[in-house]
Amino acid sequence: MAIQGFDHGNRGVGIRHHQLILPSVVCSTHVSRRIANQVGAVTFAHQHGCGIIGEDVAGIDNFFVALADHPNVNSVLAVGLGCETIQSQELAAKLLARNESTQYRIIQESGGVEGTVAAGVKAANELSASYPKQQAALSQLRIGIDKGRAVAELDALVALLEKSGAEVVTAESPESSAETFSRLAEAKAHLIISFPGDFQPASGFPLIPVINVAGTGPLHQATAGDFDIQESNLLGEILGLVDAVAQGAETIAERNQSGEIRAPRVVRSV
Amino acid sequence: MQSPLKAYPRANGAWGLRNHVLILPLHSALSAPARKTADASRGAVSISHDWSGEKDSDLARILFTLTGYAANPNNYATIFLTIGSPEEQAIIDGAQSLGLERFTTISLAQSGSMEKLHQEALTVAHEYLDAARKVERVPAPWSAIVLGLECGGSDALSGITANPALGVASDRLVELGATSVLGETTEILGAEHLLAARAIDPEVGKRIVAMVARYEASINYEGIDIRGAQPSRGNIEGGLSTLEEKSLGAAKKAGNAPLTGVLEFGERPTTPGLYFMDTPGHDIEQLAGFGAGHINVVVFTSGRGTPTGSAIMPTIKVSTNTPMYQSIPDLIDLDAGTIADGIETLAEVGARIFDEIVHVANGKLTRAEQGGHHEFALSRMYKTVVR
Repeated sequence: MAIQGFDHGNRGVGIRHHQLILPSVVCSTHVSRRIANQVGAVTFAHQHGCGIIGEDVAGIDNFFVALADHPNVNSVLAVGLGCETIQSQELAAKLLARNESTQYRIIQESGGVEGTVAAGVKAANELSASYPKQQAALSQLRIGIDKGRAVAELDALVALLEKSGAEVVTAESPESSAETFSRLAEAKAHLIISFPGDFQPASGFPLIPVINVAGTGPLHQATAGDFDIQESNLLGEILGLVDAVAQGAETIAERNQSGEIRAPRVVRSV
Repeated sequence: MQSPLKAYPRANGAWGLRNHVLILPLHSALSAPARKTADASRGAVSISHDWSGEKDSDLARILFTLTGYAANPNNYATIFLTIGSPEEQAIIDGAQSLGLERFTTISLAQSGSMEKLHQEALTVAHEYLDAARKVERVPAPWSAIVLGLECGGSDALSGITANPALGVASDRLVELGATSVLGETTEILGAEHLLAARAIDPEVGKRIVAMVARYEASINYEGIDIRGAQPSRGNIEGGLSTLEEKSLGAAKKAGNAPLTGVLEFGERPTTPGLYFMDTPGHDIEQLAGFGAGHINVVVFTSGRGTPTGSAIMPTIKVSTNTPMYQSIPDLIDLDAGTIADGIETLAEVGARIFDEIVHVANGKLTRAEQGGHHEFALSRMYKTVVR
C-alpha cells in the first residue's frame, strides 16, 4: 500500500490533517467547541483535568500529551481555565517541547468566554497558516484493532494487513470500545478497525478514522447503516476499505462526528 | 413575605423553574446525535457523557445519577436516546417513578442508524418545544425553590465575601420555607463539626460526621492524603493556606440555618430546610449530583472565575473579588468583592443574591445560560481501567 499522507513534523506522517482544540479541563470544553466550530478543527468533550489526585494527575496529563502528539494532528491549541489541576500552560509546555505547532489560551487570563473564543480563533488560524498541508509518503500505516467481541477471522485479518505492509496493534476490552480507542490512540494508530461487542453500537474517536465492522447480532444488523463493513465480507473487502480511508475517504463515524473520549483513570475524583 | 415566584407545577408536587426539553443519551456513543439534535432544535438541551453501558463497580451510582437527572423538575420532557439495554430501561422506569411526566424513548436499533435516530429525536423535540412554550408559569410558594450551594476556584476572599453573603441569602430562603443544599464533602473536611452542631437532631449530626469520615477513608484507601491535593494550586495562588481554612470558608455558603438532613450523592431532599449532600469538590460532577437530586437553581461562588453551567439548572455565578469580576465580565452574574472594598455590607450583598435568585427563578437567564454552557461529568468512585 503506497499512501500519500501529511507531514506533521515530529508527530510523523498522518492520514488526516486535523487541528486539535484540546480542552485541558472539563470547564473549558464548551469554549473549545465554540473555537473548533469556527475554524473547522477537531475537539472533544471530556470530564477530566480537575479534582483528580494521585497517579491520575500525571496519567491524564500524559494521555492528553499522547493525543496532541498523534500523527494525524497538524497543530494544537490547548484551552485551559486557569485554576485547574492540569495547568494548561504546563501542559502546553510539554506539548511545545515535542511540537512547535502548539499554542495555549487561558479563560481566566483572556477576558472570559468571548475574549477566549476570539483569542482562540485567532491563535488557531495563525497555527493553520504557519503549518499548512504538506503531502508526504507514509512509510508504514499503523492500524489499531479494537477487539470488542470474538472474531473468527482475526488472525487471518492481521496476517492480511501485515502482508500489505501495515503494522497492527490490537487492544481488547470486554466492556466498551471507548477504553480500547484511548489505548490505540496512545499507541498512535493512524486508523482503527473496530469490532464492537454485540450489544455495543458503532462508535468513533476524534482524530482517528474508525472503520466499524458489523457482527451478526440484532443490534448491529438493525443499525447496518452505521457500519462500514459486514464481518461476513471482512477478508474480501477490508484492504480496499483501509486503502480508501487512509487516502482520505470519510468513515461513517467521521461523518457522524461520533466519539466521546474516556481517559484512563485509576483513582476516584475528589 | 408573600412569595413573588412564578413557576411550572409538576404532578409530584415539585416545581420547575425552567421548562426544558432534555435530550439524554444513555450511551456515550449517542452523545453526538444528542448534541446535534439539541443544536438543530433551537431550544432543547443535551448533555454528553462517557458511560458506554459498562457494568463496573460504579454502575449503581451512574444509573442513579442519570435517573434523577432525567426527572429533574426543570425538565418539561425528556427524550431518551438508547441502544436498547436493560440498564437503560431501568433508568427510564426509575425516572417515571420519580415523577417524570413526559418522555419519549428513541432506540438506535429501531431507528436503524445514528442519522435516523437524530431525525426522529428532532421531530419529537420540536413537538415538545412547541407544547412547552405554550405552558404559562403560575404563582408558586417559596418551597418551590430548591437551591444548590457551590463554590469553585476559591481564594482568600471566598470565606469573607461571596460565601457568607450567599449564606445570608440561603438562611433567608430556608426561613421562608425553601430548600437549600450544601455539597462538596472535600470542602467541609475539617469543618464538619460546626455543621453537626447545627443539626436538628443528634442522628443527623452523627451522619454528617460519618459521611465526612467515610469520604476521607475512601481517599486514604488510595494511599493518598487529601490534604496534599487540597487546597488546589489555584486556591494557594488565591491566598488559601490549608484545607481547613478553605473548608471553614466554604461552609459559610450554608449560613447559620439548622441542618435538617444529610443526602447521598444525587438523593432528593423531601422536606424543606438546609441539607448537606455528599459530592466531590469537582464542580461539574457536583452539578450532576445536584441535578440528580432535583435542585432547580444553583448559586456558584468563585474567586478565580469559571464559565461552567448546567444544561438544566440555572447557575448564578458570584465573584469573591472585584478585579476578577472586571477582568472576565461575561462569566459572572454578581460581584461580592464590594464587601472587601467596604462599598457594601454582607447583608446588602446577601440581599442582592437573594433578589437575583428570585429573578432567575422567575425566568431571568444567567450568564451561563446565555452562553449555552452545559458541561457535564459523571461522578465515579472507582477506577475506569485496569492497567
